[in-house]
Amino acid sequence: MDLLQVIAFGVLLGGVYALLASGVTLIFGVLDVVNVAQGSFLVFSALFTWQIWSLLGLEPLLLVPVMGLLMFVIGWAIYRGLLVRVAPQGPGMTVLLMFGVAIAMEGVLNIVFGNEFKSVTPPYFTSSFKIGEIVIPYPQMISGVLAVVVLGGIYVYLRKSWAGRALRASAQNKDGAALVGISATKASSLAFGIGAMTAGVGGVLLAIMYPVYPATQYDWIARLLGIIVLGGMGSIPGAIIASMLLGISESIASAYVPQWAPVFFYGAILVILLFRPHGLLGEKTREDVAA
Amino acid sequence: MSNSRIRKGRRGRVSAAVASLAVAGLVLTACSSGDGDDTASDSQDSTESSETQEEAADDSAAEESTTEESGGMGDMCGDDTIRIGISLPLTGDFSQPGQEAQRGYDVWAELTNNAGGLLGRPVELVVLDDASSQEQVVTDYNNLISQEKVPLLLGTFSSLLNFPASTVAENNEMVLIAPAGGSPKIFEPEPKFYFFAQQATAPDQANPFVNMIASLPDDQKPKTAAYVSMDDPFALPVIESMQEQLEAAGVETVYTGIYPEGTTNLQPQAAAIAAQEPDLIAQGSVFEDGISLAKSMVQIGYSPDFMFQTTAPSFGAQYVEGVGEGNENGVFFAVSWSEKAPTEGNAEFVAEYQAQNGEGLVPSEDSANAYVAAEVLQTAVEAVGDCDNLAIADWLRANSVDTILGELSWDDIGRPQGDFLLAQWQNGTVEIVAPEVATTNGGELIVPKPGWQ
Repeated sequence: MDLLQVIAFGVLLGGVYALLASGVTLIFGVLDVVNVAQGSFLVFSALFTWQIWSLLGLEPLLLVPVMGLLMFVIGWAIYRGLLVRVAPQGPGMTVLLMFGVAIAMEGVLNIVFGNEFKSVTPPYFTSSFKIGEIVIPYPQMISGVLAVVVLGGIYVYLRKSWAGRALRASAQNKDGAALVGISATKASSLAFGIGAMTAGVGGVLLAIMYPVYPATQYDWIARLLGIIVLGGMGSIPGAIIASMLLGISESIASAYVPQWAPVFFYGAILVILLFRPHGLLGEKTREDVAA
Repeated sequence: MSNSRIRKGRRGRVSAAVASLAVAGLVLTACSSGDGDDTASDSQDSTESSETQEEAADDSAAEESTTEESGGMGDMCGDDTIRIGISLPLTGDFSQPGQEAQRGYDVWAELTNNAGGLLGRPVELVVLDDASSQEQVVTDYNNLISQEKVPLLLGTFSSLLNFPASTVAENNEMVLIAPAGGSPKIFEPEPKFYFFAQQATAPDQANPFVNMIASLPDDQKPKTAAYVSMDDPFALPVIESMQEQLEAAGVETVYTGIYPEGTTNLQPQAAAIAAQEPDLIAQGSVFEDGISLAKSMVQIGYSPDFMFQTTAPSFGAQYVEGVGEGNENGVFFAVSWSEKAPTEGNAEFVAEYQAQNGEGLVPSEDSANAYVAAEVLQTAVEAVGDCDNLAIADWLRANSVDTILGELSWDDIGRPQGDFLLAQWQNGTVEIVAPEVATTNGGELIVPKPGWQ
């Protein structure tokens, strides 16, 4: 078997992981909140995509901006309605709150959509093209391109726009940002909304690539947490690198030693954390430096 | 400044907490994936079993007196309503089949109560959610026995959950009839109270397919085969048994792969398999993995002459939607039940299922299997005339039961003695193609499998 083919599958898978993980790490970077509900956001978006696609027969990719916007609004509302009240209690409480949100969303989705697998199947969902001898499935290719577009957009937004700079300033020093007129609450709700938006976009792609049902969230949140820990919590470039590592290592291991596939990734996390306790691109905290 | 330091400190603690979660994930993953050696998972299972036995032994001692108190001869069912305890994975990984199983149990309860009840008394199902957790299922059955004091039990879904559940039932000497749970590991401790309510255990699921291959003319038989399976206590033994039998029949193995539970992306395996160009691909799948392998094969453009998958193709429309309409054509799978089966009570089961869940909705195999488990319990209780679990177990070992799956019977350790059905997707519908007595289309096969659409 051609190793290049396996690596190509890994890179495409890594692109999908990068898109899905970027929202979790962005939210942590700005809010110090581990959003364990990101998996349920993804499934929410995927199931709504399925519903609209099956009712109207729309091209599912047209729903990318719709679901992105919808999830932004939902994320923003969750921050303003729930998180902002619990955040002062510390990270433990926010994790518990988001667990609650995840479980509640799973229950609602279960009632609304039933506990059955749903797949969005546009004409290209089993199609592929070849570059030389390497097969590139269209859904994965589209996901990879969209991941680049969305992540690139977030990067430019954070670097170039006033709101993005305000958001980064608030992430670095809330008090300092407040002194120059940046509202921490506004910056945080914007960050949470953007993080949820990536789940909205990712959910559309998820529905095209994999069958989805409400409990699918558990499969995804475990992977996403592993990625952001490896990449360095709060670091979007770190999450992208970790996603590629996971995608490629998972793909190679799956092809040659499938039973060991998860051990490759989680083993890599252990080894890397031994030498870089804050992940690949994570920042050292002041307490760590003092210690 | 101080606020900032507090924030940074929090981040450090959260990092540590999430890193711990990831490490815990690694440990869990390593435990569940093992190394392909049954010993690894056996040792895990036996650890859990021994813990379960210790817990259950305490309950058992307490229960012994309780059973004696409530169980005078001929009245072990309680005063009026007969309460039957069930734990099911209504949430978590197995929630899809778990909820289907609940539907099957509900259909049975409704039909039974409408027909006058069990031993002339109404039945009530006491259902607890085990959240797809091996620990919770043990707690649930202990609670059902010691707190709810139910006189009868019915099984949960999947071998993974019925294994620990069976140790609780065994230690409390209560019959546990399981709708799913045919892994050979469950029968290794030689249970006396556990009965699997399908036609055969997992390794025997392969038999009808192997027999079908053997019956083909030589020029149509596969020469090479690839075997790939999830490390699942039910799916893996099917594929291992099939490989052993087909190798003995002269079919050369060109690929073998076992992937961990929870794997949903099989593109790399599909590429590895396609590179070997096998005539036959056999997969021990659950659902998403089955969809992924078939879809990946379509994308890669390799269509084998024969394709067999466990479980996934039995999901009906969900499978067809998942692989893409037309791509299901020609795929074989072993199945315990068919809505077309002319067995006694099958039409009533389908009609009541549709009345409860929606007209035109075809019951899943999981619903049917749960219904059958309850049917078996009902028949045994009525034959014994009481909820005496010792007598019920003895009766089941000595007798057969007519169910909507056909006639079921068990050996001394609760293993069923029948044969599975071999089904094939044929032009949008599922046809039973073997054994001959159960065929729904005269046994016509689509061989070789048509190319992907």
